[in-house]
Amino acid sequence: MISRWIVGIAFFLHASPRYRHIKKFFYNLLENPNYPYKKFFDYTMMVLIAISVYILIRHVKHEVNQDWLFFNNYVISFIFLIEYLLRFWVYSDNSKVIIEQYEHDLFLQRPFKLWNVLHNIFMTKMSFVFSLPAIIDLLAIMPFFHEMRLLRVFILFRVFKLFRYAKSLQQFVSILSSKKFEILTLGVFATVIIVVSSVLIYVMEANNPDSPINTLFEAVYWSVVTIFTVGYGDFVPVTTEGRTVGMAIIVAGIAVISFATSIVVSAFTEKLDEIKEDKMIDDVSKFKQFYLICGYGPLSAQVAHRFMKDGKQVVILENNHKKVAEAQKEGLVALTCDPASLHSYHALRIDFDTQVIAAILLEESDVLNVYTALTIRELSKSVQMLSILLHQENRRKLSLAGINEIVYTQELIGLMSKEVSGRPVAFEVIHALRSENSGVFIEEIVLDSIMSEQFFETSKLSMFHKRLIMLGIYKQSSQSFFFNPSNTLVIEAGDVAIVVGTRTLIDEFKALVRRKKRL
Amino acid sequence: MSYQSAIVFGFNEYAKQIAMQIAPEYLSFAIFVMSESERLAAKAAGFEVALFDLGEDWKLIEEQFDPSSLIVFCALEKDAENVFLTISLRSIFEELPIIALAGDHESAAKMKSAGANKVMATQQITANIITEMLEKPTVTEVLHDILYEESFLKIAQITVPENSFLVGKHLHDIDWGEEYDVLVLAIVDHQLSATFSFTSKGHHHHIDPDDILVVVGYEDSISALSEAMGVVKWAK
Repeated sequence: MISRWIVGIAFFLHASPRYRHIKKFFYNLLENPNYPYKKFFDYTMMVLIAISVYILIRHVKHEVNQDWLFFNNYVISFIFLIEYLLRFWVYSDNSKVIIEQYEHDLFLQRPFKLWNVLHNIFMTKMSFVFSLPAIIDLLAIMPFFHEMRLLRVFILFRVFKLFRYAKSLQQFVSILSSKKFEILTLGVFATVIIVVSSVLIYVMEANNPDSPINTLFEAVYWSVVTIFTVGYGDFVPVTTEGRTVGMAIIVAGIAVISFATSIVVSAFTEKLDEIKEDKMIDDVSKFKQFYLICGYGPLSAQVAHRFMKDGKQVVILENNHKKVAEAQKEGLVALTCDPASLHSYHALRIDFDTQVIAAILLEESDVLNVYTALTIRELSKSVQMLSILLHQENRRKLSLAGINEIVYTQELIGLMSKEVSGRPVAFEVIHALRSENSGVFIEEIVLDSIMSEQFFETSKLSMFHKRLIMLGIYKQSSQSFFFNPSNTLVIEAGDVAIVVGTRTLIDEFKALVRRKKRL
Repeated sequence: MSYQSAIVFGFNEYAKQIAMQIAPEYLSFAIFVMSESERLAAKAAGFEVALFDLGEDWKLIEEQFDPSSLIVFCALEKDAENVFLTISLRSIFEELPIIALAGDHESAAKMKSAGANKVMATQQITANIITEMLEKPTVTEVLHDILYEESFLKIAQITVPENSFLVGKHLHDIDWGEEYDVLVLAIVDHQLSATFSFTSKGHHHHIDPDDILVVVGYEDSISALSEAMGVVKWAK
């Protein structure tokens, strides 16, 4: 009867969109680093911790306002308690465990074993309760019982809670945890040295009336202070035997410190690339808009630098570590991952529809570019894609893969060769305009309603007339280009003006054509 | 200067496209290749082919073409070979117009030093076109139409004849758009330098005989302007 009741509740909760929505919300808020609102929660908790510690320090020598004490002892503790319970709740999905077990037993035509399920649930929840972060959380709530003066010290555990909210601290712990074995070995080594030296110094010194080391605790204290190369000097051996032990301990201490330093340094060195990569992924996920270049080579470098010159952000994805290192050396944002794999984009948390202006496929083979294009199309139907074409016969395949723009350099060079042999100066002029190295630019200005009204009037100003060349207007409605337009042409919002001029003049024109209306 | 004959060196993808585009423009056209396989491929594509090696003394060219009206395109597979070919041709033909392909900036500089008149750096050109297509798609479309498509809008270079009415005037004295429905993008002023300068830079050019105007306009308007200038033929 109870079993049926519990299974019923489990099914109800599992099917309830409201329950799942609420649970997911709290999970994201507490555990999902990619959830945009998590950082606000984390910052709030950090502020509460800072207030708590400040009150603890202030309370040592000064009177603290009762309201603040109430806030610290009850409000903050209560918030932490709620947080602890929420974490306990979202740690595992009990209804799912019950349903899985129920369906499993049903399939095997066995009676539903409630106790097995409860045992599993209990064990899962206990693994949360006994995890280090959960223990810290629990201890941080302790000052709730502030009447017990000793428990106030537990406020300091609130500082350890910072590990939950600060990513860099989490990273530090994860780096050190990769060296668990070495740290354990060091711990054992240091403990053995401390125990042996404490006993030895106690035996050598305790019976000497001139020696300050009279108890085993003092012997341990001296050993620890010496072995970690601090050496306060408040307890010193006076006997020859004691000093001999001291010399040995000093040497051993250097070994312990060197060992500890090398563990930390090597852990960081080994993880440095990973840390950098993680940081870069984080940065990329924060980019508002960028061009995504798939594949790195000399051409990718040139394309990326040109975009960056125009103030655009570029992210390069490349499978080859060496090429990524080369790109990074060039000052580019490059990540080691396969641009043709769906997994890469999930790991990078790239949102094609909002973040990517266009994906540029510059792999060294048409096969790879088609494969990458299909991967990207699976993630976004609308993102613009441009690819280079290496072999003319593959053009249709690239189009079928959903690539919007195809650049076939060989054909372009062919066309240019005709141009350069027939009209070398004209070719040079256009090439110089395109390369943007001459100080004169060819620019397109998308006209809004204000600009379209004032366009001709502004272009006739003496400042622009004859110096800013109005090549023409591209009318969106008729999809046609009107060269050297007269002021009888009706310009609409969305039409594009193509102008040739210096950067200053173009910028001034843009500003003025907008400003005039407002005057 | 219009050339009667052209040679393309090499028969890779680039050379093939160059050959396809320029062959109809010249009275005599040939492809020079270094290997038998390339020779067969070029022959199969319908071109006149000859074999050569980099140690050539270029008697072959002198026998078949008039070097004074010849233009060559160096489009071999490797940049190093192209540099060597360029320097080898320049050592024999001082005035020969040589257009060479280079992969990157570094090779382009070497080709220039080797004596190429014009170097097309393929990577730079591709990078320019990719960024332009994404950042300025309308510009790309319009320029492509002007340069390569059979549209009425053309870009042309017109050399100013000695007795032209333009001689002695300043570039900005004339409202080109209003009077001739053309726009002057740049001018090569032989008295100032051999290279062109953009009209947008605002220099007060004094038009002299033999200056070259780079103009954009409809074919009819350019013809009308040329006629007014007293030009018999303009490069379109």
